[in-house]
Amino acid sequence: MRGNSGLRRQRLAEGETPSLPGMRKNSAFWLQCLLGLALVALVVLVFRTTQSNLELLGVQSGFDFLWKKAGFSISQHLIPYTEDSPIWVALAVAILNTLLLAVFCIFLASLLGLAVGIGRLSSNWLVSRLSLAYLELFRNIPVLLQIFFWYYVALRALPSLESSIFITDYLVLNNRGLYFPFIEFANGFAISPPVPGRFAYEGGFYLMPEFLALWIGLSLYNGSYISEIVRSGFQSVARGQWEAGAALGLKPATVLRRVALPQALRAVLPPLTTVYMNMFKATSLAAAIAYPEIVSVFVGTVNNLAGRPVEVMAVSLVFYAGVSFLVAWLMGRWNKRVTMRGQ
Amino acid sequence: MRVVPGLALCALAVLPAGGASADTLSDVLERGMLRCAVIEASPGFSSIDANGRRYGFDIDNCRTVAAAVLGDADAIEYVPINPNTAFTTLQSGGVDVFPGGATWTFLRDTSMGLDYTGAYLYAGQGFVVRRASGVSSVPDLEGATICVAQGTTNEQNLADYFRARRMKYSIVTFADVERGLNAYLADRCDAFTTEVFSLAGRIVALRNPGEHRILGDVISKEPFSGLVRQGDPRWRDIVFWAFNSRLAAEEFGLTTSNVEEMRATTEDAEIRRFLGVEGGFGRQLGLRDDWAYQIVAQVGNYGEVFARHFEPLGLERGLNALWRDGGLMIAMPYR
Repeated sequence: MRGNSGLRRQRLAEGETPSLPGMRKNSAFWLQCLLGLALVALVVLVFRTTQSNLELLGVQSGFDFLWKKAGFSISQHLIPYTEDSPIWVALAVAILNTLLLAVFCIFLASLLGLAVGIGRLSSNWLVSRLSLAYLELFRNIPVLLQIFFWYYVALRALPSLESSIFITDYLVLNNRGLYFPFIEFANGFAISPPVPGRFAYEGGFYLMPEFLALWIGLSLYNGSYISEIVRSGFQSVARGQWEAGAALGLKPATVLRRVALPQALRAVLPPLTTVYMNMFKATSLAAAIAYPEIVSVFVGTVNNLAGRPVEVMAVSLVFYAGVSFLVAWLMGRWNKRVTMRGQ
Repeated sequence: MRVVPGLALCALAVLPAGGASADTLSDVLERGMLRCAVIEASPGFSSIDANGRRYGFDIDNCRTVAAAVLGDADAIEYVPINPNTAFTTLQSGGVDVFPGGATWTFLRDTSMGLDYTGAYLYAGQGFVVRRASGVSSVPDLEGATICVAQGTTNEQNLADYFRARRMKYSIVTFADVERGLNAYLADRCDAFTTEVFSLAGRIVALRNPGEHRILGDVISKEPFSGLVRQGDPRWRDIVFWAFNSRLAAEEFGLTTSNVEEMRATTEDAEIRRFLGVEGGFGRQLGLRDDWAYQIVAQVGNYGEVFARHFEPLGLERGLNALWRDGGLMIAMPYR
């Protein structure tokens, strides 16, 4: 390589990352090789120690348990599942429950974050103060405590079956969950409304109190972070842009939507990706309050049932890492699309 | 129910190989203390009294082994564990014995590198419901929501029972018994299920036990057994015979209060061998000859131990009575 000064300014082609000053490209390459090798050696070592320890203890290993009959029930399943289903179906149920929760949370937290973030910038004193109050309240309390609060305090205040709250005729709320009509596949397509049974409403579909507590808790907490990201995003849009929009005679809402928002998005997406991924991983807190997601069902029940902790943990880790990578990749692509050329 | 292999088995990945010794007896004698795993806060089995002393059926199990091995029922280092770490702690050598109510099942016995030392308590899985619900038997629970602790045999028994009868139900699975019971008390569920002994203990301890009702029927058998590491046959023998001694003492009519006198006066050859007066049976196990005497003198016979911890909870001997009284408990002979 030419050049002996690490401080030399590099002209970077688009997409190329700057290398550390003072480090030649070659030495960086070898350093990374070395680190990579050390990592692989460590993994192999841990793997072999585990294997020999398990053998020594007479503990069985392998993934064959995934095809055995599950033998336990899961109260919320988005795909057909019974106790006779194999364990891999239970895993799929748990994964879908995790994803359902994550999608609901990401949706609600984004809405909240957007509304509050814009609210913070509002010239209306009440709106901006309320937004600030929301931010400070929910950002400063650990999310697990918030989830416990919603589960143990707020939702426990709900009435029992006999005195259920009817939000509408077909939307029923009580301490067993939120019931609503749902499409019944059993005999053709029919809408089945929830009807009271001896112990609970039957028919229709319902969101468990555990789901509601997690949904509210995670969304409020992460919404507060998103609101800050949104606010900083809008503030990063040059003042002139707002003024230019106004000068063109656009209504303030239109300026916000058509001028400021697309530009703010550029600043917002990278940190937003982090929040989304954190939120996705935080769904594992569900294990604390009995919502049947992957940690609860797989790392809890299945692990205890099959006695294969290493395999169970491996599957769970791969799932979380895989989805996180996917989210990061998708957000990265979106980010690339909205990035201003030349910046 | 009560105990499950756990998450923490992953700790195996970072433990050096060969952490578990194959000669537990020597380790215990050298240490002068028995390391005994206990699950805490389970009325009847393991609790702490007003003076800060551990108390309960599981605790007396620990004391039984300590009395036999060390001659001192109090030479115990208690290692508090939770169901998720119990099996791992034992596997990795963190404790010498886990006598705390692990249901003896095929898969646990064959796949986890542990040995059961013989059933010492026969329980079954029962249900508690609110009296106001009008539920009087398990079949009444059709359509009910049931709280249960995770990864226990209870979760599977429940599924088996309801599936076999094509009964609908909804399950809420909590990480441990405490949380599951709390959820039931908060009306999240119509019933809570676990094995009847610990259920009774917990319901009696409630502020208003009269509002709840433990259903008469049980849906499973839960034979509880002590657990030791696999691959140490002498230690397994010691724990087995230590528990057996309490039953034998009850059959012989030996109690804490009369055992000393009996040792001096009895003419019965089996009792004399049992108490170490003749035969040198203790040495066969690598113990002192008065090992069984120490158990009876310091802990008591099986009936005494049962009465001490379970009678206050209103539990009867039932299956746990001696065979001659119609129960399942039978002591292997000392000859």
